[in-house]
Amino acid sequence: MNPLLLCLLAPAAATIALFFIDENAKKAIRAISTVATGLSLAMALLMFIGFGDYTYEHAATAEAFTANAGAADEHVYKYGIAVDWVEELGLSFRLGVDGMGLAMVLLTAFIIFCGVMVSYGIKTRVKEYYICLLALVTGVFGVFASLDLFFYYFFYELAVIPMFLLIGVWGSTTKTVDQNYATMKLVLLLSAGAVFALIGLIAVYGEAGTFNMVALEEHGFSSSFQMIWFPVVFLGFAALVPMWPLHSWSPAGHAAAPAAVSMLHAGVLMKLGAFGILRIACTYFPQAADTYLPYVGILCCFNIIYGGLVAVAQRDMKLIIGYSSSSHMGYVLLGVASASLIGINGAVFLMFAHGIMTALAFALIGWFYDQTHTRMLDDLGGMMKVMPFAGTMFVIASMASAGLPGFANFVSELMVIIGAWDARNVLWFGVPAILAVWGLVITGVYLLRAVKDAWFGELPERWKNLKDQRTFAERTPYVILTGVLLIFGFWPQPMLNVVHQGVEPLVKRLDAGREANERGTRNARLERIDEPATQGALTDGEGR
Amino acid sequence: MLSFLAMQLPEGFTPNLHLMIPEFIVAGTALGAILPELLLPAGRRAAATAWTSLAGLAIAFVVVVAMGPSDAMALHMKDGAFDVTGWKADSFSVFCRALTAIGGVFLVLMSIPYTRRMDRGHGEFYALLLFALLGVMLVAGVSDLLSMFVCLELVTIMAYILAALRRNDMQSTEAGLKYLVIGAVSTAILLLGIGLVYGAVGNLSFAGLEEYLLKPENAEYPAILVMGIAFVLIGLFFKIGGVPFHVWIPDVYQGAPSPATAFLITASKFAGVILLLRFGEAALLPALKTVDAFSWVILLGVVSVITLLFGVLGAIPQRSIKRLLAYSSIGHAGYILMAIAAVATEGGSGAQKGTSALLYYMMAYFATSITAFAVIITVSAAAKSHGHEAYTGLARRAPFLAVAMALSLFSLAGVPPMAGFFGKFLILQSVVDKGLYVLAFVGAGAVIVSLYFYMLWIKEMYIRKPEEGVTYPSIHVPGVTRFVLWAGMIAMLALGVWMGPFYEWVHEAATSIAAVGT
Repeated sequence: MNPLLLCLLAPAAATIALFFIDENAKKAIRAISTVATGLSLAMALLMFIGFGDYTYEHAATAEAFTANAGAADEHVYKYGIAVDWVEELGLSFRLGVDGMGLAMVLLTAFIIFCGVMVSYGIKTRVKEYYICLLALVTGVFGVFASLDLFFYYFFYELAVIPMFLLIGVWGSTTKTVDQNYATMKLVLLLSAGAVFALIGLIAVYGEAGTFNMVALEEHGFSSSFQMIWFPVVFLGFAALVPMWPLHSWSPAGHAAAPAAVSMLHAGVLMKLGAFGILRIACTYFPQAADTYLPYVGILCCFNIIYGGLVAVAQRDMKLIIGYSSSSHMGYVLLGVASASLIGINGAVFLMFAHGIMTALAFALIGWFYDQTHTRMLDDLGGMMKVMPFAGTMFVIASMASAGLPGFANFVSELMVIIGAWDARNVLWFGVPAILAVWGLVITGVYLLRAVKDAWFGELPERWKNLKDQRTFAERTPYVILTGVLLIFGFWPQPMLNVVHQGVEPLVKRLDAGREANERGTRNARLERIDEPATQGALTDGEGR
Repeated sequence: MLSFLAMQLPEGFTPNLHLMIPEFIVAGTALGAILPELLLPAGRRAAATAWTSLAGLAIAFVVVVAMGPSDAMALHMKDGAFDVTGWKADSFSVFCRALTAIGGVFLVLMSIPYTRRMDRGHGEFYALLLFALLGVMLVAGVSDLLSMFVCLELVTIMAYILAALRRNDMQSTEAGLKYLVIGAVSTAILLLGIGLVYGAVGNLSFAGLEEYLLKPENAEYPAILVMGIAFVLIGLFFKIGGVPFHVWIPDVYQGAPSPATAFLITASKFAGVILLLRFGEAALLPALKTVDAFSWVILLGVVSVITLLFGVLGAIPQRSIKRLLAYSSIGHAGYILMAIAAVATEGGSGAQKGTSALLYYMMAYFATSITAFAVIITVSAAAKSHGHEAYTGLARRAPFLAVAMALSLFSLAGVPPMAGFFGKFLILQSVVDKGLYVLAFVGAGAVIVSLYFYMLWIKEMYIRKPEEGVTYPSIHVPGVTRFVLWAGMIAMLALGVWMGPFYEWVHEAATSIAAVGT
């Protein structure tokens, strides 16, 4: 069976299976969820390991896949599968991943597996919780794996809606955030972005007459079409990234959500937006991307600096990490905006690294919040004495986030900054690159302060009895996440190879788009030079 | 005997009555449904009438599907080569009748627990419902203005009585009266429109109207013809609830007995949709090809935008589920009109896309509304209320009902993987296909607003806990309702995930109707 399909079907099947299980059989519910997500993780790892030497002959449906694709003999998508779904509309269920997609699938698989394990602490309405969680993750896998525009959107929206219940029912209302407000805002803003993008996607379909994303890549939209629809599609996805000034749903959503949902939310959901920008907006509209991306380079500085400064002002741990997430997504956008090979490689790698890092941080905050019922730095302190394991993990996560060498985040952020510095011209991208470096300093400020205030110093009397993670099951998710961060930090090459495979054709497209634009400007300039000459000739003629 | 009849027939008339067998079955069942009222003791009437009606509709459904489309017309009157009138049995008609019949089966099923609680009038209820459904089935095949009027009135008059069926109940009586008065006005407008069109064209059939509009020498349409077409459209807007002809909807939908509301919201609206398509294919498309009939698109577009915004914004403050669904049905009328606007616009990939989108949308709407109303009937049987307090914490008290309701609300909002999502997607797609981007963006914005108020209800059921100190009546879910809910949920999911075969049907139906216009 196709590992990619299995990866998607495992949580989907588990979602349906859970409907029919008695809600008091909590152990069975947890077991099913763990097995299903474990299967997804196994498949994702299998694909990751076998990615380099995978060829089409391995896929049972490879022939149908390439035949339907109508593209060249060889394209970058692997593990493909295609089933005709609605023939009259040319709509088919089509899966496949390139390097970018696979990196994201792997990220999702890691996070949901750990998220399910972290959620063992959930005591109320367990069945409904896991149904929502697994439905959400089905949607996420679907987006990263879809090669059909309709199903891409279908899964995209599916990933947003369960969030409403997850935050509304199992979330927490604190002094800083009201969960009802946060959940409604999150779902409405994300859906608004999605629907906005949908109009763009439908317009793409109307123009090209197919939903097939492989064929769409080769379609070559006219430059006027690109100029109109790039902003629509881009802004739709940018709401999910979240690009400043569309970010306001995100920190509140993080803060109100239960631990596992924050993990998925910051770790994966935000990446859906960046992934959509790369996979759809930049790939289909390279000429427009060349025109618009410099402005994105400016907007993302607001993400980096403004997001960072707001995080400095927060006293709620989850809000700190929440704003830090939108700050770090600014680096991703900067990498995308640089439109250079190293920059986009770095951006995708950063999506992976930041996803793991932020999931780890949220899981740890969830761990002590369950016991203390406060996340305010002013109430906490000295927790390292009672929970050394959690404390160590948190310090590791903070260091990774601040870009300490040895972590994947360092490698990727460095690549982004180099990419931006090297990009076309210093005026547009030099300043953002310099600001991005300073952004790392700001990250250091708020994270080190959070570490200091929460984990070191005086331990208040009432926190003397806090529990650390002791058992194997409790520690596993944290160990997995930290391990991934360290492995890819010291040895980034395997992941970079995979990512590179997907990024390279994209960058070629972007370069071609830039050349086409330059050609266009040159021609326009030539025409302008020609015009007076012809007019002169006419006057001469009249004179004669 | 039959040959003797045939000899008496006027020239050019072929009855072809066999095409209408399903309709005869429904009509016969409707008459038969009154019998148990006369013959059986009071205790057994309800069940007997219900099951009779159910059997009739189910058989009618099977027969419609088994007979399939036919090129011949029933009651076909020809004048030379020209079709004066006739009742069509093309694939469009077959699709609409099949959908009405199967929808009717589930309407009857969900009404059973409701009628069980009524102390009298079982026969009337089912007979009226069946006659009304018969009207919708007949509407599917009409090909001239006069039979269109007659069939539509069959639906409407039955619906007046259905709305007022609980005559001791103030709200129900009020609903019936309001519906009657406003319905009568709309009927008058429709009739006036028909008269004006006849006056201009000198012919009642759709084919004649189309021929007239297409003739180059008629490029300058007389004002009375334009007015006539506009009045017919307005009459149909009344039926589906397009703003500003929607005023009756909230009160009538809220006051009418729940099964009657379910009928109004699905089948009765469907009748309006069918006629908008049939009439639109004849009157709006050809008109477009000759002169600047783009104004029809503007009319349809403006009405659809206002309808959509009115519906979704009006629904936000509603605290009664029936009233909420009433406003949401106005919103849905906005999407319907949007699709009609796409049908009436030239360009893109033809009219079929809008038509098939609309048919898919209605199919999804049938499944969704019937599921939602099955829940409403069950909850109100216990709580004696349609207010939001009856739904507080429903997920704890009656998880099955809450799931069904949540799924149907998601489907109404247009969230994947539910049926409503694909319906809305198709409509937006057909609109973008014709380049009506403003409509598409308004439609997309309305999705977000509607998501908001549907989620308020999801929150009521899932997130809010049951109030402490309030004793909630225990909710009993009858077996029939359980069946309807399962079927509804499966249908909603199937229409939303496994679209291929369903889309093939609507595509075929849409192709058969577009072939007439183009």
